[in-house]
Amino acid sequence: MRRARILTGTGLALALAFCGTGAWTYTQARTDDALVRGRERDEALADGREGIAVLTTLDATTRQSAERSIRNWRDVSTGPLREELGDTEAEAGSSARGTVTEAALTALDTRSGTAKLIATVRVEVTPAGTAGTAGTKKPATDRKRLEAVLARTGEGEWKVRALSAVPVAEEKGGE
Amino acid sequence: MTPTWLLRRNAAPEPGTADETAEPQAEVEAAEPEAEVAESEAEAAEPEIEPESGPEAAAARPPNGRLRKAALAGAAAVLVLGGCGFLYGAHQLRSQAPARNQALTDAGATTRVAGDVGNALARVFSYTPDGTGAAERSARTVLDGRAARQYETLFARVRDDLTDQRVTLSTRAVRTGVIELDGDRARLLVFLDQTSHRGKGTGEDEAGATTAAAQLTVTARLEDDRWRIVDIKAR
Repeated sequence: MRRARILTGTGLALALAFCGTGAWTYTQARTDDALVRGRERDEALADGREGIAVLTTLDATTRQSAERSIRNWRDVSTGPLREELGDTEAEAGSSARGTVTEAALTALDTRSGTAKLIATVRVEVTPAGTAGTAGTKKPATDRKRLEAVLARTGEGEWKVRALSAVPVAEEKGGE
Repeated sequence: MTPTWLLRRNAAPEPGTADETAEPQAEVEAAEPEAEVAESEAEAAEPEIEPESGPEAAAARPPNGRLRKAALAGAAAVLVLGGCGFLYGAHQLRSQAPARNQALTDAGATTRVAGDVGNALARVFSYTPDGTGAAERSARTVLDGRAARQYETLFARVRDDLTDQRVTLSTRAVRTGVIELDGDRARLLVFLDQTSHRGKGTGEDEAGATTAAAQLTVTARLEDDRWRIVDIKAR
């Protein structure tokens, strides 16, 4: 009788310990630095990709659509870039559609919420007026390489803080 | 494959040891491993079951020992199940794709693969009219698979022109980003600047130097502790 009770107690204690270990392991995995960083990296990359695609796209077939494009720009950008884009005047003209063909993060600081991203973008430029009339000018395709600085906003979303082309270095003497 | 994953794997047998020690306690427990297999994802269900078994145990006390025994066994089973659920959840978290990708989460390895691949590309795509051999030799050590074949066909086509037109090419990796890094495989995006000189002059400054941009997606594999490029795609 007594033996049985001790055994039962031990069994329960072991089960409890096992459950505790499981819970602890789970908490560790949930809060693991590398895992958290990995999730942030993937979020930053996905948001950055989308941001760059939006920022290289302008539908200027009509004034209204251009305004919409500029509103989209403001939605995916933050800081100085956002202000700069806000001043853009919407007018009908040539349109552009950007597609990110490849992107990678080059830096990630999860604590301050900043990241750097490089991307190759294919931009199709359609000259003004080709949509309605039988266009004589064909859309031109341009490949760009861009670098963006991303910042994490309060809602945990990554937005583009700065966007610039990676220039071809001017010839350095001797090299 | 990845060291952390292996570690998790080794930690997994824990439930077995817990079961063995719990076994002599009651025969009811013998049924438990099956339940565990059926509901190993049931971690969410655990909090619902637990309060239920509490009052049951209290109510069972007066009549006889059998009910009480069953209640205790049930409680133990729930705890073990819960533990399994947690371990399973932890394993899921660690083995998902974002966790396996070590790009930027393993800073040392990321810097290393970026540096190795950048250097390899710079060496392979830099040559002087008389020194194409050096570039081709580097190519043999740092290129493999499809990339090596691509490089050979390309070089075979332009080798004669290079020497005739005295082309000097120097390549520099200006940006390197690691997209994916999973143990011994990596995928990177590399921006290159390629400056070419054309002319007979050997040492003097050429006026006809042009710099062009190139963007490549590179797949690399770690072999004998060295990153080798196995595929190159222009972007």
